Amino acid sequence: MAMKKKRYALVIDSRKCINCKACVVACKAENNVPIGNFRNRINEERKGEYPKLSINFEPEQCHHCAEPSCVRVCPTGASWQRKDGIVLVNYDECIGCRYCMVACPYDARYFNEEQGVVDKCTLCSHRVDKGDTPACVETCPSKVRVFGDLEDTSSRIHELLSTRRYRVKEPQTGNGPQLYYLL
Amino acid sequence: MHEFNWGLLIVIYLFLGGLSAGLFFAAGLADYMTVDDKPVYARVARMGAFLAPWPVAIGSGLLILDLGNWYRFYKLFIHFRWESPMSIGSYLLTIFTVIAFLYLFAWLTADERQWLFSKVPATWKQVHRLNVDISSWRGKIAMVGFPFSIGVGIYTGVLLGAVSARPFWNTNLVAQMFLFSALSSGAAALMLAMVLNKKSPAEKHEIKFLVTLDVVFISLELFIILPYLIHGQLSSLAVKQALSLILGGPYTFVFWGPFLVMGLLVPLAIEVYELAPNIFKGHEFHGSRNLALTAAGLVLIGGFLLRYIFVYAGQVSSFHQMGMLN
Repeated sequence: MAMKKKRYALVIDSRKCINCKACVVACKAENNVPIGNFRNRINEERKGEYPKLSINFEPEQCHHCAEPSCVRVCPTGASWQRKDGIVLVNYDECIGCRYCMVACPYDARYFNEEQGVVDKCTLCSHRVDKGDTPACVETCPSKVRVFGDLEDTSSRIHELLSTRRYRVKEPQTGNGPQLYYLL
Repeated sequence: MHEFNWGLLIVIYLFLGGLSAGLFFAAGLADYMTVDDKPVYARVARMGAFLAPWPVAIGSGLLILDLGNWYRFYKLFIHFRWESPMSIGSYLLTIFTVIAFLYLFAWLTADERQWLFSKVPATWKQVHRLNVDISSWRGKIAMVGFPFSIGVGIYTGVLLGAVSARPFWNTNLVAQMFLFSALSSGAAALMLAMVLNKKSPAEKHEIKFLVTLDVVFISLELFIILPYLIHGQLSSLAVKQALSLILGGPYTFVFWGPFLVMGLLVPLAIEVYELAPNIFKGHEFHGSRNLALTAAGLVLIGGFLLRYIFVYAGQVSSFHQMGMLN
């Protein structure tokens, strides 16, 4: 049987986010992220003055773009993309030039000082390949993130994107980002 | 707030790479200038050939040191990725450096060549076979080297300009700006070396040649910078916001003061002041030593500052700022 084509993505319902940062901690624990570096973050956007005040929390990580500029600029091919869309770094090939970090419109990558290589969110590919969801998705108490395969028409993520309005960040960079923020 | 992934080492490298490209270009051009089939700027060409390979060699060394794993730099040469400006650039840089050293070798006198090979142990026979006179190849090496020197000069700009995520860089004009700045730095460095060379003082026609060359390059650079600013102001919001880094933002002073006025307009004014009476009224060319030194020094500082401003301001610029406006 031929393998079915896959395209992993995340849908983010940022209105559900309570800024508990459990996703940030879960990611660091799962992936042994060095102290001072993060693979995901929660952007805070404040608006207005007290008492007319609002705050918006917006989780962000690597967008696993359809046309990733980090992969394009990498001189050695260390930055690469799997057929299912996950963008990864081959640590043995990375020379640490940091061109990909400069080229990422979402500042999603960090430099691992100790190993001298660039690192980033792997969408927990080691878990995904076993059929699990990424650590940030699993741990979220308010179910902000929905992980799934866009090619699978029966998936929750497919249903959300066909019935809800959403936006992607900075589409004008041409990267084709795959983090979908529900409106 | 914002981390800089590329720092001073990259700035210095971009400057040195461009400087070598400019030196080679000016030297090759001087080599080709003849009056009645006699070379009139041979000393300029020789000086340029002697200087050209060193900055790029040092710059490439710095570039390798800047890598997270410097010993893995060889991986650049076991892959070729045409979509990556850095991959193309590393090949370009290597070929250009080889050509520049070859050109230097072609300009060595017979005595200098013998002296050089006298340092090589006599048992290294293979090395001694390289002790040949290639001075007749000068013109050909220069001809082959021209496109590579232009390539290196442009590449330093393309490296930044090809990054679509950074609106400050991602315009069609950055590559040309860096190229003309590189060529102008090369002419200025050559002028500095010729004037400072006390053993055989520079003659007026040599200084005039370099001043003329520099006036042309500075003018071209100026008329790239003006459209860069105008285009940017008329461009999309992200580019406009990126430009505000030098139009009111943290890099405004260093751009307008030290770079544009001191590094571009003042040397241009000095060089025009030197040339104009000669061209328009037929007076003898001044050839003032101090003015040439001042202009050349300022051009070099300006060339360095241009790279400094672009590397740092470019990394601050991003599309994220758009969200903050809403």
